[in-house]
Order: sequence, then structure tokens, then C-alpha cells
Amino acid sequence: MTNIRIGRRAALAAGVAALASPAVVRAQADPIKLATLTPLTGAGGPYGPVMAKAAASVVEEVNKAGGVLGRRIVLVSEDDQTNPEAAVRAARKLIDVDKVAAIMGTWASSVTTAVAPLCWESKTFLCTVSGADSITLLPHQGFLIRTQPNSKLQVTRVGEFILSLGAKKAFTMIPQTPFTQSTFDILNQVLPKGGCAHQSLIYDDKKTTYRTEVDQALRTSPDVILANGYTPDTVVLLKDLYRAGFKGKILGFAYSINQKLVDQVGQPEVVEGVYNFAPASAEGSSAFEKAKAASGSANPDPYTCQVYDHINLVLMAIASAKAATGEAIKENIRKATMSGGKVVDNAVDGLKEIAAGGKVDYAGASGPCDFDEKGDILDCKFRYEQIKAGKFTLVKIA
Amino acid sequence: MLSYILFIATIGGIYGLLALSLNLIWGGVGMVNLGLAGFFAVGAYASALLTTVGHGPIAAGWLIALVAGGVAGLVVTLSTTRLREDYLAIVTLGFAETVRLVASNEIWLTRGTDGISGIPGPWKRALGPDFNAVYFLIVVLALLVVFFVMRRIDRSPYGRALRAIREDAQVAQVAGKPVLRFKTEAFVLSAAIAGLAGALYGHFTSYIAPDMFLPLITVYIFLAVASGGTGRPAGALVGAYLVMTLLESSRFFVEWIPGVTAVQRAALKELLIAVALIVVLRLKPSGVLPERVPPAPRPS
Repeated sequence: MTNIRIGRRAALAAGVAALASPAVVRAQADPIKLATLTPLTGAGGPYGPVMAKAAASVVEEVNKAGGVLGRRIVLVSEDDQTNPEAAVRAARKLIDVDKVAAIMGTWASSVTTAVAPLCWESKTFLCTVSGADSITLLPHQGFLIRTQPNSKLQVTRVGEFILSLGAKKAFTMIPQTPFTQSTFDILNQVLPKGGCAHQSLIYDDKKTTYRTEVDQALRTSPDVILANGYTPDTVVLLKDLYRAGFKGKILGFAYSINQKLVDQVGQPEVVEGVYNFAPASAEGSSAFEKAKAASGSANPDPYTCQVYDHINLVLMAIASAKAATGEAIKENIRKATMSGGKVVDNAVDGLKEIAAGGKVDYAGASGPCDFDEKGDILDCKFRYEQIKAGKFTLVKIA
Repeated sequence: MLSYILFIATIGGIYGLLALSLNLIWGGVGMVNLGLAGFFAVGAYASALLTTVGHGPIAAGWLIALVAGGVAGLVVTLSTTRLREDYLAIVTLGFAETVRLVASNEIWLTRGTDGISGIPGPWKRALGPDFNAVYFLIVVLALLVVFFVMRRIDRSPYGRALRAIREDAQVAQVAGKPVLRFKTEAFVLSAAIAGLAGALYGHFTSYIAPDMFLPLITVYIFLAVASGGTGRPAGALVGAYLVMTLLESSRFFVEWIPGVTAVQRAALKELLIAVALIVVLRLKPSGVLPERVPPAPRPS
């Protein structure tokens, strides 16, 4: 009854053996291998490609100038598909096959949290742009830094901005995300101190109308509404707020309230006067100009600036360590940016200085890039804008 | 390289379990279960919670995952007894999305979109770098056990009854087969296997989050079963490894193509996978290993 036929066995074996087929043995000898793991497809698709490009141009420049420690840099680019399951497979390939010393540019918080354990277990360095507070609290043993301010810093600044608008009653509308609860907690602390009452609700970001949610919010007659979602749901939310005749102020993060949102809403009167804010890149700094050139974009987004900083920092850390391992990068990354040495804005200059025996203090395109022991950045400026006649106009950078 | 291959072979094995689970229910009874990712998630969360919050042993986690998957399967079948084909597909898809939404929003239980990290792996600390190899063996063992059970069912009178229900439930009913009981049993068993696959996944990667259980994984498994051969356990298994091989080997192929940007490479990778699957299904419309229906034993 249960006689096994060789044909099946062979087919099964062939399936397993086929897995080994991509085992192309490549020369592992000389070049230093680094990787970007950015979202080239999926929800992060608008950001990842430019991020990968910026890192690639920095590597090209450094290679032209003779590489690091006399070795060429090879940058491998993988797609995390904005999906933790796919990202884990991609990261495993980068770590085990390419044997990269560092992975840079993971974007979504869930992707970073999924990839981080693989990195610290294999002693691979990880640089991320994800914002969730929980990430730097992972037991990463120092193998992780992030250039994105954590949500505590971001939300505190948002609260202060709401107070500066003279709000007496604020209302937050937010979908369920890793920072939803911390957003409530922080605003409930910051706002009452400035004499502003705060209430909030969580909505489902896949709904096609938010009338009931808007009614619920307007019942508290707020003068400021924080629309803290992503672009697709915020489009619907803003329209419903307009229809309901809300006359107060609206603000939200720049990753959702952006030009795409203005285009999708299609009615200038709906978005008129809406504020947005974002961690500001160090606009006007020389590193920012270099990031512009590297990304080939006139106005590189904060994530691109951050990846530009990642690759520069990693290269200089390798140079100061005189070794291209994750461990070496971990030990030396802070030396490249917090040493009080010569201020540099790119790796080519920094590498020269290090080769000459000097110290460097990197000032990046996203900010000063100084990290605490958990891997969080210490300080960051924020940029506030307001939509006037369909155009974003700068309110302040602070 | 070896640890990468082991890693991919392990994930392939977990896909294989999911494919066997889907093959039982879709290939066997003809019920379209688009909620596979939901049962996968239920198992993953059950085991992760028991071993992290409850500090239970990992083996107990796997057991709980089997039970939790089965119970979820029971609830879904009993609430959909009147639904067939497209309608069943819609409800099961809805079930998977509901599981994901509950996992995102019931923060007190599931830690929401942060996900559960630090899920223990068996003897992980003691094994160090050998962990991948040992875990691979565990998954292969689970896969083999499930595979032989599935094949036994496939060739037994029980399997024939399931197939009869797939072809025409009414005729099976007339022939005296308790259709509802057969359907429920098959669905519960299938969901339990998906739950076990979820638990094996969680303890391997040490982290799970609602975003991992998107419908995409169900699509992969449908592709695996369709290309491997619907209605034959060996086909499902070959299909799962075929899909995994395509997903992973396409990374290496696109690296050889000169003069394309990273984005184009990512797009090419997806294109390559799609083309390969179309070619497989064009050449072998009923899958690499098509279903074989053994003749019923003649009465002697």
C-alpha cells in the first residue's frame, strides 16, 4: 500500500538540490562588502530606490578615490519589499552569501525589528531609518544605530508646536501603528502642561469614509486636530473634516501630508492652511548639497539624507578600525562623528584625514549624527510647513 | 553560503507544510481556503505567547499551535457550512484579515504592530551557529511526518471520499457519505497543520508581527500547490520548494544583468518569478506532479 517509488524521491531530492543551484561561488577575497536593504517595492517604494542610489554614488566616489584601506567597496542592494517576511530572507542572503559587514537603510519598523536579530547574532552592523521606539530597546549589543529621531522626540516637538498654535482643545486621530500608544501618552503629558486639553481616537486605516470618526472628534469641539495617519487614509479624513465644516487647524506628519496628498485630494480649499512637520534634514549644509548630488534629486527626502549619512559613517568607521567587520564598525562608528576632530561632510575627505592619522567629526546631511549608547540620535531639527494656495510654504525650522 | 541554504531550505520546509495543508483542503476537498495566512498567524501567535509571556516549553508551544489552528479551523468551517466556492473564499480571506487586525489592535495580548520579538528557539544558545542546521532537521522531520500522513489519507478510502465530495458533494451525500463531517475534519486538520507551520516559523526567526501575515503568503502557497500539482501531497511539496527556489534564486540571476538600477533589478526579479511560474503552468497545466487517482479496489 505504501510502497515508495523512486520517482517521487528523486523529484523531492531534485527540489531540494535545486535550492543549491544559486550557489555561485564568487571571489570573497579582497573587496569590502556592504549592503543596502531598502524598500524598492511595496509601501516604501517611493523612498527606497533613491536611498539605494544615494548610497551607491557615495561608494562610487570612494572607489574612485582609491577605496578604503586600499580595498574596493562593493555595495549589494536588496529589496525588503516593505515586508518583514521577505526582508528576513533578503537579509539572510546578504549576511550568509555576500557576507556584508553592514546593512543600511531598513525603512519600515516591522522590517527593522525582524532583521535586527539576524544582524546582532551574526555581528553585522545595522543602520536604520525606522522610528518606532521599541527598536533601539532591542538587545542589539550596539550593532544598531538609527538616524531617525524616535517617536518620543518627534511627538514631544509636535505637542510643543500644537501649543505654539494657541490650542486649547486638541484632538488626535491615528490608525494603529507601533507608535500609536506612545503618541497618546506623550501628548497627554505635554499638552495639559501648556493648558491644552487632549482627546484622541484610533481609526482603521483601510476604511473608505471617516464620517463617524469625524463626528466623534468634532463633538469635543477641538481647535486643533492632529491627523496622524498615512497618505491614503489622511486624504479621506481631510475631505470628511472639510465636509463636516471643521474650521480649526489641522496638522500631520510630512510623510502623509505631502504633495501627493494635495494632488489626490484635488480640491485646494480642503487642504488650505493644513500644517505638516518632519524631522528636518540639515538643509543648506554642505553635506546636504552632497546628498543632493548623490541622489540626483533637487530635494532629497529625509530618508535619502539619512542613508547618505549611514554609508559615510560606516566607511569612516571601517577606516578608523582598519578592519571591515561588523564588530569593528560597532566599536568605531562613534569615533567618526563624535570625536571632536576635523569636521567633514563626506567619506572621501574623512578617509583622507583618517589615513593621515587625524580625527574626524562627521556633520551629516540629516543632522549632526551624534548617537547615544542605545543607538538613538541625540538631537534633530524639525521643519514645519503650511499649505497656502496648494503650495507648501515654510513656517519655521526649529 | 551553507547557513543561507539551510535557512532557505527551512523556510521552504515551512512553506511545504503550508502547501500540504492547502493541498488537503483545496486539492482534496475542493474548498478554496484564502485564509491560510490567518491560520498560520494563529499558530505563530499561540506558540509565541505561550513561550514568551507564559514561559512555557517550546514543544508545548508547537502543540498549542496545532490545537489553536485546529480550533480556529473548526470555528471557520462551522460558521461557513452553507458556503461554497467563491463565497467560502471570500469569508476565509476575511477571516485572515480579521486575525491580522486583531493582532494589530489587541495590544495587551499581541503587542500590536510592534510584534513579538525574542521568541526562543530550541537550544539556540547552546547550539550557536549550528542552530540553523538543527532547526532544519526539526522542520524536515515535521514535514516528513505530515507528508506521510497526507499521503496515507490521499490513498485511503477516506481520501477517496474527500475526492468524491470535491467532484460532486451531492452525489457523495446520496452515496451516504457524511459530507459535513468530512469537510469539517479535513478543514480542521488542514488548519492545524498551518498553525504548526506558523509556530515553526516564529521560533525560527524569533520575531513575528501582523505584517508578516499578509495575503501575499497565501498567494505564494496557492502558486506552490498549483505549480506542484493540485491534489497530490508530493506535488504540493515540490511546488513549495519550486516557489522558494524561484523567489531566492532570482536574486542571483538579476545580479548578473549589467547596467540596470536597483529598482529595475527588483522589478526584474518579480518579473522573472512570474514568467517562470507561467512557463511551468504552460508546460505542465496540472502541475509538475499531477494528481493520480488510484483505482478503487475491486470487490473480490
